[in-house]
Amino acid sequence: MCGIIGYTGFREAKNVLIECLKRLDYRGYDSAGIGVIDNKLKVFKEVGEIANLEKEIPQIKGCIGIGHTRWATHGKVSKENAHPHTNCNKKIAVVHNGIIENFKKLKEELEKSGHKFTSQTDTEVIAHLIDEEYKDNLEDAVFSALKKIQGSYAIVVVCEDEPRKIVGARKESPLVIGVGDNENFLASDIPALLKYTNRVVYLEDGESCVLTKNSINVFNKNKKEVKKKENIIEWDIKDAEKSGFPHFMLKEIYDQPDTIHQTLRGRISEIERSINFPEVVEKLLNNNINSIHIVACGTSFYAGLAGKYLIEQITGIPVFVELASEYRYFGTRKESSLVIAITQSGETADTLGALKEAKNSGCRTLVVTNVIGSTATRVADGFILMQSGPEIGVAATKTFTSQIIVLFLIALKIAIIRDKLGSDELYHHILHLKELPRQVRQVLDRSDDIMDIAKHIKDSKSVFFIGRGINYPLSLEGALKLKEISYIHAEGFAAGELKHGPFALLTKDTPVVAIITRDPTYDKIIANIGEVKARGPRVIAIADDKDTEIEKHADFVLRFPSNSRLLSCISITVLLQLLAYHTANLRGCPIDKPRNLAKSVTVE
Amino acid sequence: MKAVILAAGEGRRLRPFTETMPKVMLPVANKPVLEYVVDAVKNSGIDEIIIVVGYRKEVIMEYFKNYEDVDIKYVVQDKQLGTAHALLQAKKHIKDSFIVLSGDNIIDQNSISKLIKDKSEYSILIKEHPHPSKYGVVFVEKNILKEIVEKPREELGKFISTGIYKLPSSIFDNVEELTSQGIYALTSVIQSLVDHDKEIITVTSDLWMDIVYPWDLLNVNEAMLHNISASVSGVIEKGVTMKGAVSVGKNTSIYSGCYIVGPVVIGDGCEIGPNTCIFPSTTIGNNSVVHPFCEIRNSVLMDDLRIGSNSYISHSIIGRGSIAGHNFTIIPGKTTIEIEDEFTKLDNIGVMIGEDSTIGSNVIVEPGVIIGRKTEISPLKRIIKNVSSDSKVM
Repeated sequence: MCGIIGYTGFREAKNVLIECLKRLDYRGYDSAGIGVIDNKLKVFKEVGEIANLEKEIPQIKGCIGIGHTRWATHGKVSKENAHPHTNCNKKIAVVHNGIIENFKKLKEELEKSGHKFTSQTDTEVIAHLIDEEYKDNLEDAVFSALKKIQGSYAIVVVCEDEPRKIVGARKESPLVIGVGDNENFLASDIPALLKYTNRVVYLEDGESCVLTKNSINVFNKNKKEVKKKENIIEWDIKDAEKSGFPHFMLKEIYDQPDTIHQTLRGRISEIERSINFPEVVEKLLNNNINSIHIVACGTSFYAGLAGKYLIEQITGIPVFVELASEYRYFGTRKESSLVIAITQSGETADTLGALKEAKNSGCRTLVVTNVIGSTATRVADGFILMQSGPEIGVAATKTFTSQIIVLFLIALKIAIIRDKLGSDELYHHILHLKELPRQVRQVLDRSDDIMDIAKHIKDSKSVFFIGRGINYPLSLEGALKLKEISYIHAEGFAAGELKHGPFALLTKDTPVVAIITRDPTYDKIIANIGEVKARGPRVIAIADDKDTEIEKHADFVLRFPSNSRLLSCISITVLLQLLAYHTANLRGCPIDKPRNLAKSVTVE
Repeated sequence: MKAVILAAGEGRRLRPFTETMPKVMLPVANKPVLEYVVDAVKNSGIDEIIIVVGYRKEVIMEYFKNYEDVDIKYVVQDKQLGTAHALLQAKKHIKDSFIVLSGDNIIDQNSISKLIKDKSEYSILIKEHPHPSKYGVVFVEKNILKEIVEKPREELGKFISTGIYKLPSSIFDNVEELTSQGIYALTSVIQSLVDHDKEIITVTSDLWMDIVYPWDLLNVNEAMLHNISASVSGVIEKGVTMKGAVSVGKNTSIYSGCYIVGPVVIGDGCEIGPNTCIFPSTTIGNNSVVHPFCEIRNSVLMDDLRIGSNSYISHSIIGRGSIAGHNFTIIPGKTTIEIEDEFTKLDNIGVMIGEDSTIGSNVIVEPGVIIGRKTEISPLKRIIKNVSSDSKVM
């Protein structure tokens, strides 16, 4: 997982590269580097944040160059291992995102024929391979070199002897072309480019391209030139800025009343009492589905678990939720099942792998993603966009709530198709969906109360989250949010499971966050809280506004507004996000850039 | 040149609408008041705006996250002590001459351009007003400011201060001196400059509007709706009649049989009708649903509303997220309303409802009633007096 960038045009390349890298740093930030051709190829690298690199670079004039921000996979974090990597005579420079699987073998061969390596990375192999193949034309050399490589890559290459040209290629790692006037770009994703252009060309897997400042040529894997369509991106650069908020994460939490509207936009009608998806998607849902498999990683996996409860409750169809990294190798595939992949970026390597496996086995595939034009939307039979705008904070917030809402809409649509839902019942669900933005607003209004509670957990070594039914995946998500940004050890459990083991870990210094909704298991979870209290910990209850009993059982109570048993998961999620945010903030953690984590993981 | 916009205040007299948003974010023709100010400032050529935020600052920052073509910075005033103290928070961003405005008064670009073009070091925008005694009344001799008298008891003059100034950065020395003595109002700082024989030039403003009480929203909304032009997106079914300037947002559906007479603005993602009538001067916010057979006149309906079928709404303001059942009936008329010990006579006023309230079917409301935020009113009630926030009418 890394961010890469290439530029050729009229501006000073150094400034453009640094600016774009800063927008890519959510993809990795342990080291960074740029290479600029200013008569000679000049390479600068530095460990740490991009600001460190910026300080170290002298004035350089060149208007063509490449850049990289790294999240280490091969080789430790060091200046040597930072990109760009060069060949022996330092005329060719490469930046790379992905993993070269056969790099050890290639490296041995290249060393035998006299190449000297200066780093432990897999990427350096590419630079030497291109050198080996180079005659007088860079793209030909890149093409031949890539034939020998196994693994995933998005690369951008420059060569001192051809100072007007950048060459890019991708396979299973993202790369887009940004189209400008008298300048062109390559980048790992779109937000990096939005400051300069909103016109992009998507590269397909296996394609490569040659850019000069006023030409773009794209080639397929057989080296035949292909015509590409230009796409206009409607996102705004401001969408990807903090707008006065101290952290992207907080801004994105506050985005949610709006992103929920965006997710529902054009898909529900209160007066017609209908749920509407594009024809392709409706057809996929209309088929004889016997079961649904949801495949995803990380937070998206938890959204899938929540989706399981929603879809099963509303449609009665059994749903299996599987980790994409497991499913792709060990999952069972039936042609009668619909596979729904959830990936925010549409580029998550494990999820893409699972999606391809499912498709190859004859399953119908549907992807829920936030990025139009991403690889996942092109692989799957159909896609539904979350429409939540770019998410920059490494901890997913608004995309998690949008994912759950999309799954809820899918559940309603299937139920309508199968005649499982009465008109009144559907109408209630629609009204409850429309009330979500205001409920989320009301949770945001209680941010200060949540901060007061965060004071009670900020010094804990460990925090437990418990819930039943749909609140169980929410417990997992609440624990994930807390641990990833505050570095406090946190675990989510199904409330009934506590006594089957986890109790052994419970001490009076382990606060327990219990999520309680007034459903048929209400008395059971109250009993669970009693069991916890008997062992000494403080209990923070998350309960709905109308629950008048809960104060008797818990030490602290945080309230969420709710009218719907199924959809209260959205307000509860926002509350848990704020709890994690405030706890991390009180501890002074780097919330938008937690250690060792990157936003979308495009390596396996 | 830079501009400082003061937007930290709460606007207590505008409750319940300001319970969850600052006064500057109240919507007029589907745009917060502050956006009119920012637009005017941007269009007069200012390239950097510093907004002083405080009360409910997130609402402002979230709304302006997508604002284009001008650099917006935020500074926070934690305690809302006064306008001079608010301005002081922006000190570190100001090196040269700048303008300062309050975010809760609608102003036009032309007036700001006039102020910027004025060559003098200190200048102030003033405005003739029919009710000057509610404001700071200014005394002027040959375009030079002589005195500002805050809220005089008697009729002293007809020109008032708009609170919009062009000032040199040295003003911060004066502000610091006075705030250290516990004087926090910008008017007092300006008065002390006058007292020390500083020449402050007055410039007359074209358009300037203030919102003090909730019902002012109706007048200001009506005035601003005159500037809209017809523009229709979304889905308009066959059999819809639209006359005059009607603006319909994206992803909005207007069902058959609706009759809409502009000026009317309808936001994004709404559903209206079938057979609903909307008359001038009405604004409907985003994602609101108005069910069949309603009649709506001269009202401000904010975002995320639901109005049940057969409702009659006139001269009324309904806060975002509120829900009204079927046959919700407003009786507009003459009344006198008291807010913070001040009485105001109104000729024709309906209801004012705060956000997130739920009103049952067949409720009738008498003129000038203010219903708070998050209230619940059971069906078949006749509401004759104010209902405070978070309460229930059973």
